Amino acid sequence: MNEVENPYLPKITVLDRVVDEIKDVRTFYWHFEDPNEQLKFKNFLPGQFAQISVFGIGEFPASLPPSPTEEETFFTVRAVGSCTDAFHKMKVGEKFAVRGPYGNGFKMDSYAGKNLIFVAGGIGLIPLRSCIIYALANRQNYERIQIFYGARTPAELMYINDLRKWEQSAGIECYLTVDRATDGWKGNVGVVGSLFKKPNVQMAIKNSIAFVCGPPVMFRFVIKDLLEMGFNEEDIVSTLERYMKCGIGKCGHCCIGSAYVCVDGPVFTYKQIKKLGEDI
Amino acid sequence: MKARLIEKDDVLKIVDLLREKYDVIAPFSITGRDTYFETVTDSNRNDIRLHLPNPFYPPKRYVFPHIERLMRVKTNNDNIDILVESNVKPLAIFGIRSCDLAGIGHLDRFYLGNAYRDCYYEARRKNLFLVNMVCTEVGVDITEDCFCLCADTGPAAKELFDLQLMDLGDVYLAVAGTQSGEEFLSNPMFKRATEKDIELRRQILSEVRKSFKDTTSWFSATVRYISRGSVLEDTWEEIGRRCLECGGCTYVCPACTCFTVSDRKIGDGEVERVRIWDSCALGGFTRMAGGFNPRKAVHDRRNRRFYRKLAHYFIQRELSMACVGCGRCATVCHGDVGMPSVVEMIRRATAILDEK
Repeated sequence: MNEVENPYLPKITVLDRVVDEIKDVRTFYWHFEDPNEQLKFKNFLPGQFAQISVFGIGEFPASLPPSPTEEETFFTVRAVGSCTDAFHKMKVGEKFAVRGPYGNGFKMDSYAGKNLIFVAGGIGLIPLRSCIIYALANRQNYERIQIFYGARTPAELMYINDLRKWEQSAGIECYLTVDRATDGWKGNVGVVGSLFKKPNVQMAIKNSIAFVCGPPVMFRFVIKDLLEMGFNEEDIVSTLERYMKCGIGKCGHCCIGSAYVCVDGPVFTYKQIKKLGEDI
Repeated sequence: MKARLIEKDDVLKIVDLLREKYDVIAPFSITGRDTYFETVTDSNRNDIRLHLPNPFYPPKRYVFPHIERLMRVKTNNDNIDILVESNVKPLAIFGIRSCDLAGIGHLDRFYLGNAYRDCYYEARRKNLFLVNMVCTEVGVDITEDCFCLCADTGPAAKELFDLQLMDLGDVYLAVAGTQSGEEFLSNPMFKRATEKDIELRRQILSEVRKSFKDTTSWFSATVRYISRGSVLEDTWEEIGRRCLECGGCTYVCPACTCFTVSDRKIGDGEVERVRIWDSCALGGFTRMAGGFNPRKAVHDRRNRRFYRKLAHYFIQRELSMACVGCGRCATVCHGDVGMPSVVEMIRRATAILDEK
């Protein structure tokens, strides 16, 4: 069987370093053993995902938080089941395997000339990080860039170094909130939607694309807010998570409505999500 | 169309001839409804049956095995070796029915079409020789659950076979569907067929077609209702209440494509990754790590199954419904929510609504 044509065949990767993000969530920096694979993989789009193999345990899909404009490849993974637990136990230097990238990704280039509004909750920032970094690397292509991010507590803010940088940077508006203020938190307290109405916040609504990622409850409330503010359903985009085995539209697990999330998604507009008729 | 005749006593010589080049699969019977596909050997060759109820366990597994190894992975020290072995042997299925043939056609378009080609399926499919048997014996070949007529797949397949056999009473008519089928017919055991034989074929088929139940011929209405989303939630719930979540319908379906993937240990420092048929009827089918399940309710899962099989969107994509009218799901379903019943339940419930 010709290896090049086998879409199920993962390529060997090496774990370079691990960074703790928040509780149960870590970022894993890695590279392909074969430099050619690394080059091929680096063509991924923000919003795409990959399949990670921990041999003997299984394979799981994971978002790609890096932007293709960045040097390093990495995953940010929450330990939530047998595969991700095993992945968390991997040591630097150990080998695993990756195949991908898969999925449609965000159409970042078609959003040129628009305002980009990122609304994320909890680990929903993982897939959106790629878009944010990509947009900042191509800053001249976009109008305003706004980030609204909420976590349960200050200790659960993802990518805290990026957040602090974004807060300081010119040309990007970054607003943070937490559900519960602990650890001397001085910032906003409340759900992420509460940021939209703050006096110092001017949401860009006209000519804007809203990226929304987060837990189901947050998603529902944010969508409601955005629609009330005048966003069109087709200008709200998100990425769906589903149980997946193959990533290439064959195993059937992620099929909802008329879509296989792995190939037709994971990025959908809210207009499409509504039609698919399943919970986010 | 190249048509030939073969004497009844000679028909198993086709199997002998095939066995020179292929492993041959053929249908066998134990007693009554118990029938199965099995590899032909010297000892069972004479037990091959051409007229029998179609086995429940579909021949789909010869192109898409129930459990199939995708790769072997050896780990020693720091090294990981991924081994993909191909040991696909040329295979012939003798006596595959038209519905199951249509099932393979559907799998072809699904696994080999779309964005990615499934290389494991392709390897098996490329090495497959198909001898289709036309169903002509009412009550034997054609049971009361058969509805290929409504699914437009039978009783006589129009494509996909290399060779097609049909019982004309005293002889079998053999028709080639591919180049390799044509070559096969050049063997001297095949005699030239006349216009009279072709006419007899036509007559027999037109008689056979009358023997199907007509109660299941509501596909088009149901496809329309499902596609435009007008099936009532109540109807899905009723279907869901009757579903026992056994998964039987999916395991006997010639057109179901879903599988799960699992790693298992096969030796010291060695694991294999296999794919296994999966079923959307089972509760864990969409359950994600962490426990969130977007499709918890049974009727939700039934809704998805029939949407996937019948919605216009997928028919357009795969050029066929994911139902071939074999009737197996109807026979195995304890709750009577196989395809024909569901088609009718939806049609009745929704049509009444339409009239209001």
